[in-house]
Amino acid sequence: MTEYRSNDRGDRNDRNDRGDRGDRGGNRNRRFVSRPKFCQFCSDKKLAIDYKNVELLGRFVNETGKIRPRRQTGTCARHQREVAKAIKNARHIALLPFEGDFWVDNN
Amino acid sequence: MHKYELIFILQADLDEATLDAAVENIETLIKNNQGEIAKTDRWGKRKLAYPIRKTNEGYYVLINFDYKPEEVAALKRTIGFNEQILRSSVVRVD
Repeated sequence: MTEYRSNDRGDRNDRNDRGDRGDRGGNRNRRFVSRPKFCQFCSDKKLAIDYKNVELLGRFVNETGKIRPRRQTGTCARHQREVAKAIKNARHIALLPFEGDFWVDNN
Repeated sequence: MHKYELIFILQADLDEATLDAAVENIETLIKNNQGEIAKTDRWGKRKLAYPIRKTNEGYYVLINFDYKPEEVAALKRTIGFNEQILRSSVVRVD
């Protein structure tokens, strides 16, 4: 029984370690990145999300072909859903790549 | 009847006459099933974002049309049988 207790203490110490590490990571070395604060589709109602508009959708894809997260583009949840859908449609008809940079090829 | 948008990619190495025939073929297919074509837009040859069937180019055609929703699945299937078509998609626009 006494052995079990000592094990418990060990666990608690581990947890404390983890907490410390998290604090350290969050503090200093992170640079501030300015982010767009408004969803461009909410502020500009004329800007329609269309799977055929490659120039527009290309801005929401990073250089590896992945859909960029909302925290980078500032898109609101609703429009992000629509953008994601449009990108997937565009990929199916080979307007956007599933992977890789398509500007390199086109220019 | 709902509004739909059909986009399909034809093989780019076909000559003009066969391309025209293929587009007309699809148009008559839609019309024969009581569909109404609003607009056909030929984008022409375009580079594909990734190779399909080992080709890097495709001839894009976009057709806006009205169609019965219950017939769309059958339309998609018959388009799929066409070997000249590399890729196609039907999207509802309302």
